Amino acid sequence: MANPVIRVLSILDPSTPHTFIQPTKKIHESQDVSTFLTSKAYTDIMTWILQLNRSMFPLKVADDNIQTWTLNSDSIQFSAPVRQLQRLLSKLEDIIQEVPPDTGPRRFGNISFRRWCEVVESRASDLLEECLPADLLHRGSSGEGATAETELKSYFLGSWGSGQRLDNGTGHELSFLAFLGGIWKLNGFPKADPGVEERAIVVGVIHPYLELIRLLIKTYNLEPAGSHGVWGLDDHSFAPYIFGSAQFSPAINDTDLTPEEGSLPNAPDPSGVAKANIVERERQTNLYFSAIGFIYDVKRGPFWEHSPMLFDISGIRAGWGKINKGMIKMYNAEVLSKFPVVQHFPFGSLFSWDRDPNAPLPSSTVHTTSGPQARPVVPDSGPPSVAASRPVPGAGTQAPWAKSGAGTRAVPPMGSAAAPWAGARREGIPSSVPSGATRAPSILPETSRMPPGPMAPTRAPWSAQPQPSPSQDGDADVHTKAPWAK
Amino acid sequence: MSDLDRAIEQLRACRLIPESQVRELCYKARELLIEEGNVVSVDAPVTICGDIHGQFHDLMELFRVGGDVPDTNYLFMGDFVDRGFYSLESFLLLLCLKVRYPDRITLIRGNHESRQITTVYGFYDECIRKYGSANVWRYCCEVFDYLALGAIVLGASSELEPTSTTALSSMPIDDSELETEVLNSRGEVTMSTYRARQRSSSDASTDSRNISPPRDISAAPGQAAAPSRSGAPGTGASGDGNGSAVTSRTGAVLCVHGGLSPLIDSVDKIRLIDRKQEVPHEGAMCDLLWSDPDEIEGWGLSPRGAGFLFGGDIVKQFNHLNGLSLVARAHQLVMEGYKEMFDGGIVTVWSAPNYCYRCGNVAAILELGEDTSGGGTVARSNGEYGRSNGIVSNSRVVSPGRRYRVFEAAAQDTRGMPAKKPVADYFLVSFFPLLS
Repeated sequence: MANPVIRVLSILDPSTPHTFIQPTKKIHESQDVSTFLTSKAYTDIMTWILQLNRSMFPLKVADDNIQTWTLNSDSIQFSAPVRQLQRLLSKLEDIIQEVPPDTGPRRFGNISFRRWCEVVESRASDLLEECLPADLLHRGSSGEGATAETELKSYFLGSWGSGQRLDNGTGHELSFLAFLGGIWKLNGFPKADPGVEERAIVVGVIHPYLELIRLLIKTYNLEPAGSHGVWGLDDHSFAPYIFGSAQFSPAINDTDLTPEEGSLPNAPDPSGVAKANIVERERQTNLYFSAIGFIYDVKRGPFWEHSPMLFDISGIRAGWGKINKGMIKMYNAEVLSKFPVVQHFPFGSLFSWDRDPNAPLPSSTVHTTSGPQARPVVPDSGPPSVAASRPVPGAGTQAPWAKSGAGTRAVPPMGSAAAPWAGARREGIPSSVPSGATRAPSILPETSRMPPGPMAPTRAPWSAQPQPSPSQDGDADVHTKAPWAK
Repeated sequence: MSDLDRAIEQLRACRLIPESQVRELCYKARELLIEEGNVVSVDAPVTICGDIHGQFHDLMELFRVGGDVPDTNYLFMGDFVDRGFYSLESFLLLLCLKVRYPDRITLIRGNHESRQITTVYGFYDECIRKYGSANVWRYCCEVFDYLALGAIVLGASSELEPTSTTALSSMPIDDSELETEVLNSRGEVTMSTYRARQRSSSDASTDSRNISPPRDISAAPGQAAAPSRSGAPGTGASGDGNGSAVTSRTGAVLCVHGGLSPLIDSVDKIRLIDRKQEVPHEGAMCDLLWSDPDEIEGWGLSPRGAGFLFGGDIVKQFNHLNGLSLVARAHQLVMEGYKEMFDGGIVTVWSAPNYCYRCGNVAAILELGEDTSGGGTVARSNGEYGRSNGIVSNSRVVSPGRRYRVFEAAAQDTRGMPAKKPVADYFLVSFFPLLS
């Protein structure tokens, strides 16, 4: 039996009529990120990620044994929907054969990726029809407007990369997670014990998805989207670091809360990421190391130099549980709270722009101060927020010389690490409660006081109308994009 | 040994200088840069470099291949910072060299020398990480605002002296002159192109012949030295400042980070910009730092969201109107390190090998030799050249001889030991007492 406080993404009641909506972008201004962080969509995304994350923790089984979840584990059974999604991914991989990379002398990104995206788009409906149940896709078709397929397709098409800019990043990964979360909400996965389907999704769908993305990146030389250069976690992905660190965390049972430190007894030391032989061994079975292995595949140079963030994390002594916790905090701050990443996320009925009634009222102070033209002010009123109270180096020293974009790091990137569940903790919930899973309605995350992410205010104040872009991410690496460009 | 020399020595060893020294350095640099015009005049011989992006060890390789400061006269076309691990070490070293040898190194501004861009692409993160506060980032950004927007290279020779180590390439071709030469990092010539020697300056570049000697000519005894590397600067008579009296048949070379702007039809217009500010999101100053040449006609929208795309017709017209033979720019990765476009009217120079540790590209620098045939040059100045816009003689200007030195990423064993490992804040408990 699952602990009732461990929340999962709720499934739409099939007996209740549901109105689907063509998903559209809602995040036009940096201030809109604050609104997003109090939306139903945000709550659902975090709930979904934490649900998947929990499923990857090793499980305590009878006689003090521990069941781990490796990528090649025989203990993970793939349900029919999971196998269908694997088919879908392999069909997309086949399209690469149809669209070989252009051999002409061009820039880094290969123009043929644009063609690959076009082919996928032209076949998207057929592919979804082929690989997802008709009754799921056609829900809502009695009405005149959008169907479930309309919404799923939107996230499906956003999952691969920008054909325009030939890049790929965490925004695309987020779109794929939403695609899977949408299927979950539509009851597309069979009922099973807690965690069973979730880990089949992580190992059986998300891992192959990441492998496909890596193949796309290598085949078409896709550029990293939204890169901070060497100072970002990874050029393209984030999810494997979350789920992979969960794989190495201490075991739990069905009702345990996810531990915040310690490691599975036989887990490799985190410092193994800097050792090629260990990476080679672990990447076969672990998502974290599979992502590290890809970095080894594509980058040359000392690991600590091209991946200093990952190198730092490899020095953590408190175990993979600590790393997992930090990864979720970081995902929340560096992906979900970043305007350039989430600005392209479309909102429909499955992931709704509507305000989560359990979320606190957005604070107007933060709204105005996170804008690009405003002087950055670290919020200091109201209950102490984690970010505001922590000693941020340099915070508060920036405004005087800051022009339009200079305030973007009023709170440096590390400063925006306030966890969405920070409020819950303060209200006395046990410290090891997994965040989204534990939120009682009255103690939802203090998202309104989340500091603006470093990139949130980078939009030019005078560019009122965002230009449509098929991309999910704000910035590509190899050719600098203006951060105020849409 | 002066403090400055000590700082240079320390930075060459890839060790940072204290914050107080950075502050002083940036102050001195600003005092120096404020005296430079928007378009700095630089005399050939000069070595033109493109993006560096914090690739410090590769910058050291660049100096090894191109010669050291002050022996070689350098012009860096911006994008010193962001993306790489060593933006601070790279930029501070270049700045020290600028303060120490102001006439032997020219730094112009790239689109990454901006507050807003550096907060997105890594330099800000690096400053916080390495100095623990944003102070150094602030000092550097204040220097960025004073960097020149472009440079004009005068007095470049139309003909290269063949690199002496290559018996084959020095084989005389009747009535032809060496126009371009490509050397690898060992100083071996890998490609040469010749053009017909023109005593008059009419239509000189139409009859060029490409001759590619076999690659990797051996028997290069030691490092090949660039013939003109140690030439004294500013030789020859000074010009009269009207542009029309520049007697060298080689047109001037405009160097900017990005490219042209639809708002700029003459070099003079660049001089009218009030440059001492953050890079604006639009307008002439923005375009110079953000635009890209492209195979189009006229102007096009840039996928970067800033600046424009411009075609070969725009380059031809701009060069003609301004008596230029070449626009040298950086800003775009090119796998071969350099790329000439539009009949040699513009060249992209890229100096960050294996960009972002993964692009697999080589890097290049461009050497322009000094015209010793008696052509007039002006002493380094704030760019009086080209003041008389529109008065252009009918004779076609000849492009300068161009020597590209191509090099690869520095070997790993040239790099230091791992930096210390402060754990990223997301993974710390101490900052989140309420969570622990």
